[in-house]
Amino acid sequence: MFSFTHEQKVIEISGVHIGGQPGLHPTVLFGGIFFKGDPDFQDAKLHLQTLVQLSKDTGVPVIPDFFIRKESFVEPIIEFIEKTLPHHHPFSVDIIDPSIKIKTLEYLHEKRLLSRTIYNSLHIGSTQQEIEVLTSHPPEAAIIVAFNPKDASPDGKLEVLENGAHLTEKGLLALAQDIGIPNLLIDTAALAPGENSGAAIAAIPVVKEEYGLPTGCAIHNVVEKSLWLNEYPLVKKTVDVASNMTVPLFGGDYVLFGPLANIDYVVPLIAWQDILISEYAENYFGVVPSPSHPRRKLQR
Amino acid sequence: MAEEYYPWGGEFTACSPTSCVAVVLLNIRYTPSDEVAIYGPLKTENIGIEKIVANTISNPHIRFLVVCGEDIRGHRSGMSLLALHKNGIDANHKIIEAPGAIPYIENLSDEAIARFRSQLEIINLLGETEEQHINTVITESLKKEPPSFGEPYIAIRIKPEVMVSLTDKRALHSKIVIGYMGKVQKRGA
Repeated sequence: MFSFTHEQKVIEISGVHIGGQPGLHPTVLFGGIFFKGDPDFQDAKLHLQTLVQLSKDTGVPVIPDFFIRKESFVEPIIEFIEKTLPHHHPFSVDIIDPSIKIKTLEYLHEKRLLSRTIYNSLHIGSTQQEIEVLTSHPPEAAIIVAFNPKDASPDGKLEVLENGAHLTEKGLLALAQDIGIPNLLIDTAALAPGENSGAAIAAIPVVKEEYGLPTGCAIHNVVEKSLWLNEYPLVKKTVDVASNMTVPLFGGDYVLFGPLANIDYVVPLIAWQDILISEYAENYFGVVPSPSHPRRKLQR
Repeated sequence: MAEEYYPWGGEFTACSPTSCVAVVLLNIRYTPSDEVAIYGPLKTENIGIEKIVANTISNPHIRFLVVCGEDIRGHRSGMSLLALHKNGIDANHKIIEAPGAIPYIENLSDEAIARFRSQLEIINLLGETEEQHINTVITESLKKEPPSFGEPYIAIRIKPEVMVSLTDKRALHSKIVIGYMGKVQKRGA
């Protein structure tokens, strides 16, 4: 368990705090909502109810992360968010295709939802047109993915943040600042086994000490790509759920987990982990947990 | 010789080592016949493509690369693979005219890419999901029986040099020092 010398920035998005010294705020979870075919909003509504309730019961904030894979899904998904998610609740949009990203930003702007939006994500492949639309419609926060195709090590991740690793004109942090995104979260880019998968975890304390920004990753991706685990389905689920613990243990502030069906396991697990960290952080470093911390809610 | 093929590993199935056809599968549930040399899915437009290049050029018998199925949204990995074969990479190692999100080739030498472009002929079946049609194209390619390209090419994965040697065993990384109770400090601060 760690404490950082560099001052740690805490960002607040629609009432949810992310970042700071370990033990101060609970780990924030992003639960991926992925529609395989056409969006099943009835099912998604049930997931959101579970998400909100578990978050309330444990003190672990859970932010729904909507994966939008088709342009025709942009409007219905955003309208679903507007109607179904409690009005104070932040959400993130996870999109790969630049043209869908642009359409989403424009529609979120039209619906006045950008103040609750976490943009997932800005990276070295972000296009000029996307950057222009982000500049005119900046979301409240963005996840900056420190993926460096040349170097998966923590150094490579710092390099793309700092100077774009000569792949882009400037570093991703400077780019995000130029765009005018007020709150930044760093994603240490978890890669497949064989691609220095452990570097995503090792980079967390390095990035936090370097920049003091909220940092995390989707460590679940590594489990997904550990194909040998398919031979052990029961264990795979256990590993998938447990993998999320490694992020707060290494000082991380948020975790993107998946699939959402694991939420009943992941949220209490993270609450347990946060209590463990908070006890040490308060006893040794004097970090007092925030009022909504699981240690205050669940310690009996 | 066959055991030396496909040194970069990945999510593929190796079949007939002297076959001239390799098959790239995109968003398709389809199993080619075991008369092909190797087949497997392509997911990402960077590391995934690098593995395909390194593995196919390791087997000089492979002369045709059949790319079939529906391209992956956003990543556009199939189109990016085609662009690499057609155009190569620019000075920043970006695949020229690739439509994918992050189409960078960083772990292969220019020589390995040149070898890929000359050894392999791409058979573009992007958008094709009809198994019978794909099977027919593969069979026609197999019948051509082109000669081997010569010696296997074992691509060396380009890795960044390690610049710092660690002397402090408690450190997780050269940039930070972790005190014995968990206090993290920038090294040298």
